[in-house]
Amino acid sequence: MSHPEQSQQMSVAKGNCLEMLRLILDGEATEEEKKNFIDKHLETCMPCYRTYHLEMAIRDLLKSKCGNHEAPAELIENIKRMIGTVR
Amino acid sequence: MEETAKQQYTDSERARIFEDEFMPHINSMYNFAYRLTLDEDDAKDLLQDTYLKAYRFIDSFQQGTNAKAWLFRILKNSFINDYRKRSKEPSKVDYQEVENYYNSEDVDRQITPDLRVETLQDMIGDEISNALNSLDVDFRTVIILCDLEGFKYDEMAKILDIPIGTVRSRLHRARNLLKEKLSEYAKKMGYKNA
Repeated sequence: MSHPEQSQQMSVAKGNCLEMLRLILDGEATEEEKKNFIDKHLETCMPCYRTYHLEMAIRDLLKSKCGNHEAPAELIENIKRMIGTVR
Repeated sequence: MEETAKQQYTDSERARIFEDEFMPHINSMYNFAYRLTLDEDDAKDLLQDTYLKAYRFIDSFQQGTNAKAWLFRILKNSFINDYRKRSKEPSKVDYQEVENYYNSEDVDRQITPDLRVETLQDMIGDEISNALNSLDVDFRTVIILCDLEGFKYDEMAKILDIPIGTVRSRLHRARNLLKEKLSEYAKKMGYKNA
């Protein structure tokens, strides 16, 4: 997927870097943009470095603590049974 | 979704789509239902209603399109129509105000510059879950869709029936609110600079 405003080569120069950071966090940057930002830009931009690592730590926490509510087996059986009778 | 032509599936096609394309998302869907309702019984009812609706409207689902986004949209709409009004959720925040604010100069202001990675790593209890649950449901939703489920802007826009620009600003606002909340917890845990 590409947005016109993103497909333009975005330099990670000042002013654009927080915008690029947002796109990366939101999963909307290209692999190349992401690699460039993480490998090169973060080494020289302390605010981005800190925000990036903070956001990643939050995401790891979210994934490990908030993404693991599995549907109860009984409920799954129930749904399948109901669909069977509707059918 | 509504823009696609209706299909005419046979009973066996319906059964196959339901089993192969809808059921694999059931855990993600339950997690979403639980994070919306914040109640296990409500989450079960919501999930069941959603899957029954998905089956009933299966002819509106086009094979080869994103089943997960289609299901999430049905779940979100069911939540708004059937559950939200009976919950004690406070009324919606004024998004125009939020949008204006985040389109202003302040957009990249660092609200909690001192929250530290190390502090977060010490949050081994329910802090993150409580912080997420404390957010207004619309902010909670975009965090779940993006960070837990990996939906893209355009998919979130369709699931939530809002423009992509709103998805972006809402996500940004949600991340900042979540950080503020975590920062509060960190302070309670005794981190001076958090």
